[in-house]
Amino acid sequence: MSQQADRQSPILSQELLLSVAEELKLPLLQIARKAEQQELTGESDLSTIRATADSALRLLDNYVLGVRLALEPEPLAVESVSVSSILYDAGQELSAMAKNYGVELELSIAGRYAPVLAHRQGLQAALVSLGAALIEALPAQGSPQLKLQLATHRSRYGIVAGLYAETKQLSNEALQKGRQLRRQSRQPLMNLSHTSGAGVFVADTILNAMNLHLTASRHHRLYGIGTVLQPNHQLHLV
Amino acid sequence: MAQILLIEPDRVLAEIYGRSLVAAGNRVLSCFTAQAGIQAADKQQPDLVILELQLVEHSGIEFLYEFRSYPEWQATPVVIHTTVPPNEFSDNWQILRVELGVETYLYKPQTSLKQLIDTAQAQLSVPESVPSSVVA
Repeated sequence: MSQQADRQSPILSQELLLSVAEELKLPLLQIARKAEQQELTGESDLSTIRATADSALRLLDNYVLGVRLALEPEPLAVESVSVSSILYDAGQELSAMAKNYGVELELSIAGRYAPVLAHRQGLQAALVSLGAALIEALPAQGSPQLKLQLATHRSRYGIVAGLYAETKQLSNEALQKGRQLRRQSRQPLMNLSHTSGAGVFVADTILNAMNLHLTASRHHRLYGIGTVLQPNHQLHLV
Repeated sequence: MAQILLIEPDRVLAEIYGRSLVAAGNRVLSCFTAQAGIQAADKQQPDLVILELQLVEHSGIEFLYEFRSYPEWQATPVVIHTTVPPNEFSDNWQILRVELGVETYLYKPQTSLKQLIDTAQAQLSVPESVPSSVVA
């Protein structure tokens, strides 16, 4: 019971809700100003507005999913899933937002990996939530290379799935500091993002509800954040 | 044609604000970070700065301290255009006004494009030696 309460407390906290509320101001502001710009110029670009609205809805959906997963009284039903397929689907979900921000999304899923045991919807939501936060953050860092890679690789701890870019700010130190500052600061990931960083904390929360963790790792020469998954050896043997 | 330095970390908003200020007859240099803002100011000598305070790594306040440390930029008008709401901002307003010579604060979520453009044009029309009015 206490373990269940531990899982629930961060997700039910006001600070995560506050962080999501602050984050939602950005897409709403973009929509409002884009609409005003179009009124002033007579131009019409509804696809940008639609992509922005979709990203706001996705953040809300992922937040709600995180709350629901954390409130589940029973252990989550995990299934055998392909990490490559989840990364591909996450990339599809993020593509319109990435286009709005001028960020090039790449998929690096070469190699054969055993299926992993995970809650499929939760894992994908966490990666999408994290990806959306990083898409917003990369241009704000003034990075000349606006590339974000959805990638998987083996490590000694398991199969890693995450998002990678050429920025050293994607580190465990930044994550830990951000988690600590979330209570006091409106910009807790100050070296990574200009926003409340809600996407990162929603991903963190969803993964925690699945007994997984958000952690930094390297993929080739890139820096990134993701999670470590355990391969389903049983299915692999079959 | 006036030169405006726009320091806005959000790429989508930067494009919207930048294009609107250009349409109003200005040249706009858009930067995402404080450091890039200082470098751009050094090259282009802006007539006006529009500044978000919440930036990655170095904040807008840090930008202002650096910017104002150069004699040639001490009288350049700066418009704070930020997502930091007025109630959180009030403690810092005196510092910004007295120490850093900021005269105008706009709360971004409640500032229309038209208001931003009008404020920018008003600031640009004020001679540098005469203090402009406080909007916030």
